[in-house]
Amino acid sequence: MKISYNWLKWYIPEAPDAQKLADLITYHLAEVESITPLLSEEGVGGGDYILDIKILPNRAHDLLSHQGVARELASLLDIKYVDPTPKYKIPESKPTKLKIEINTDKCRRYSGRIIRGIKVGPSPDWVVQHLESIGQRSINNIVDATNIVMLDCSQPTHAFDLDKLNGSIIVREAKDSEELTTLDNKALKLKNSNIVIADSARALAVAGVKGGRIAEVDNKTTNIILECANFDPTSVRKTAQALNIFTDSRKRFENDLSPELVPYAMRELSALILEMCPEAIFEDIVDVYPKKQEIRKLSFSADRISNILGLKVSDKQIEDILKRYVFEYVYEKGKFEITIPPMRLDLVKAEDMAEEIGRILGYDKVKGNIPKINFKPKVNEKYSQISWAKNKLLTDGYSEVMTYTFCDKGEVEVMQSASDKKFLRTNLTDGLKESIKLNHANAPFLGIDQVKVFEVGTVFKKDKEQINVCYGDKKNVTEISLDDFCKTMPSDFSLSTFNFKHSTGRFAPWSLFPFIARDIAVWVPENVKNKDVEKIIKENMGDMVIRGPELFDEFKKDGKVSYAFRLVFQSYDRTLTDAEVNEIMNKITDKIKENKDWQVR
Amino acid sequence: MSDDTKNKKGTEHPLSILANEAYQAFVDMGFEIGTGPELESDWYNFYVLNFPKDHPALDMQDTFWVRDPKGGCEINRSQTQATSDKVLRTHTTTVTARELEKAGKEGRLPAAFISVGKVFRNEATDITHEMQFFQIDGGMVGENISLADLKGVLTNFYKKMLGENTEIEFRPSFFPFTEPSIEVFAKFNGKWLEMMGAGMLHPNVLRNIGLDPSKVQGFAFGGGLDRIAMIKWGIPDVRLFYQGDLRLNQF
Repeated sequence: MKISYNWLKWYIPEAPDAQKLADLITYHLAEVESITPLLSEEGVGGGDYILDIKILPNRAHDLLSHQGVARELASLLDIKYVDPTPKYKIPESKPTKLKIEINTDKCRRYSGRIIRGIKVGPSPDWVVQHLESIGQRSINNIVDATNIVMLDCSQPTHAFDLDKLNGSIIVREAKDSEELTTLDNKALKLKNSNIVIADSARALAVAGVKGGRIAEVDNKTTNIILECANFDPTSVRKTAQALNIFTDSRKRFENDLSPELVPYAMRELSALILEMCPEAIFEDIVDVYPKKQEIRKLSFSADRISNILGLKVSDKQIEDILKRYVFEYVYEKGKFEITIPPMRLDLVKAEDMAEEIGRILGYDKVKGNIPKINFKPKVNEKYSQISWAKNKLLTDGYSEVMTYTFCDKGEVEVMQSASDKKFLRTNLTDGLKESIKLNHANAPFLGIDQVKVFEVGTVFKKDKEQINVCYGDKKNVTEISLDDFCKTMPSDFSLSTFNFKHSTGRFAPWSLFPFIARDIAVWVPENVKNKDVEKIIKENMGDMVIRGPELFDEFKKDGKVSYAFRLVFQSYDRTLTDAEVNEIMNKITDKIKENKDWQVR
Repeated sequence: MSDDTKNKKGTEHPLSILANEAYQAFVDMGFEIGTGPELESDWYNFYVLNFPKDHPALDMQDTFWVRDPKGGCEINRSQTQATSDKVLRTHTTTVTARELEKAGKEGRLPAAFISVGKVFRNEATDITHEMQFFQIDGGMVGENISLADLKGVLTNFYKKMLGENTEIEFRPSFFPFTEPSIEVFAKFNGKWLEMMGAGMLHPNVLRNIGLDPSKVQGFAFGGGLDRIAMIKWGIPDVRLFYQGDLRLNQF
């Protein structure tokens, strides 16, 4: 959620600077993904900071809005919250003939209001500035007003052109194959699990998701109906997902909003439109609210909270938090009973209050402790087997690899995959053979004569999964089940005999370009050491050698000794040519020959 | 890759080295090693862990659901153990849940479990994302196990993995299976890095595994092992772990 710092300051003028605020949010509320300054040269919104806050799912009921975040921060920091409500002018209102019918339990509240004589036009500057600061576009005053209300208090609202409507507002299930064209001209075919806002003839909007073209507010519109409603979160999510529509409205409804927010939003929206269109004539609000949101209570003790957090929290500390957060509560016999504010749908049980109190106090207050419990762990047989098998193969000179579980044929298939390999492997052999091929090509680089590798991993047969052991070299690959492999495992095998290594060091990346391996064998008098030859090679081999000179052969004959070295050339940024490597080898050869009685074979 | 490894002992995969180091750190604190299936029921992968059935993580776009061999392509989502569908586990919290359930039945509480296992996510791969990777996951349940115990255990763990100077901190987070939920950050080479998710086991999870939340409580944690390896050794690309390439075995 993009939050404008300047917008927040309307409600919390005493807020610390943007960076400080971002840190406080990170440690007490949610991750701040970025903080972006808007430069004053960039026009509207200049001088502002935009905080992109990753609102957690359990707080998406109340924090996907500037007022929500401001209220939270005011309580957290114990600073003043400027309640805007008294500033919202309540327009004079006339009796209305608007009728609203709710024919589905997926709509929990629907509030409508007719306003006549509005004038569609540009928005006031502050509205444009608020919208543009957080990356939204100003459309016209009426549409902007509905968006501002959502971004301000998180309640999505909508405006229909009254004169394009046929009769009353009906909230109902869509008919199968019912059609609707959205405001952005997407033609939808609906199913009866979708909820729509309709007039007596047609669907006007997909409830909580997207408005339709039919009753769109345009430049000629003079009379409108405002909608402030509340819809079932699962229904909104499923509908929007099936239709592949992402809107700010969907995001809020699918996270579940309180229907108690509706009258507040209607009041704010009406006041905004009154400010934009002072000549407009407002009619009475029609509010259909079939089933009121329950008033919930929750009780807990300081002891319980302390026990969960592992931090001694006092009654006084809790009272202080409850007061700052304006929770109604009673304290009796060591227990707090709070009346949960309607917007705080995340608070249900004592553990939720432990989180609330923990994060408000700051988790840095929780000091680490290693519990002194005499646990009686059992030996995990499977892990012992795996460890024994791996150790045996390592000792036998096999190196460990890991390959992919997914492949293009098998007995178990996944239903949907981001890759083209949709099956689970039935063996490790196929992967291991690929690995041998790859490593064989790299053998000079690795400095090994023979590639010997193994993998211990799970394979998937139609009815069961099983751990297999697979090992082999270029000629031979063997695969058997872990159980079979471990038949010779001593019964008294204990993991404690292993000394697991602690590895430090840094990874050395390898070049993606091909390497070239070259050998050079030198005949020298017997008294010449291999280090002497190596020194000359090193001095003349340049900076493209990634491995070597490595002495791989040595023998004596007739008072002379032969040393054979291998050099592996590779560049990190290009493919080396034979010609340039030859040139280096020639240079080395020439330098060696400069020594008396030294010969290159 | 030095000369003396020639024709001698084979080299170990870095993730195996790290897994063993991690196991050792936790075993020293009394944890028991846990294991479980890679192809898991949606019961253990989601519902036991208090995921609601319409949670976005259950979407086919995120989780590998396995095709019913009888040819069905609907996920039944009945949220019971008896009629479960299969998924490739998306986390090894499944192992923690299974082991704690078993320990409860055997009357072996307090208990603590640690597991390292392969997990799967249906997502496009890049240098930090893989469809398969390893998760380290653990939990402890007893009478008075608290968030402070979690902090002590994880501090000790990261000091052993990343060095004695390593600090950790908790930041607010959200997971369906923990309350409170926190994100664990570790300070490595002067930078705070996101390491794993953790928290106190949600009472619904305790109930689902047959424990009584009014009598016992505990913590759980889980995060990527690959990520620790990448940070510890400076390995730049998660995909390098699964190529079968011996050039990786440098440690």
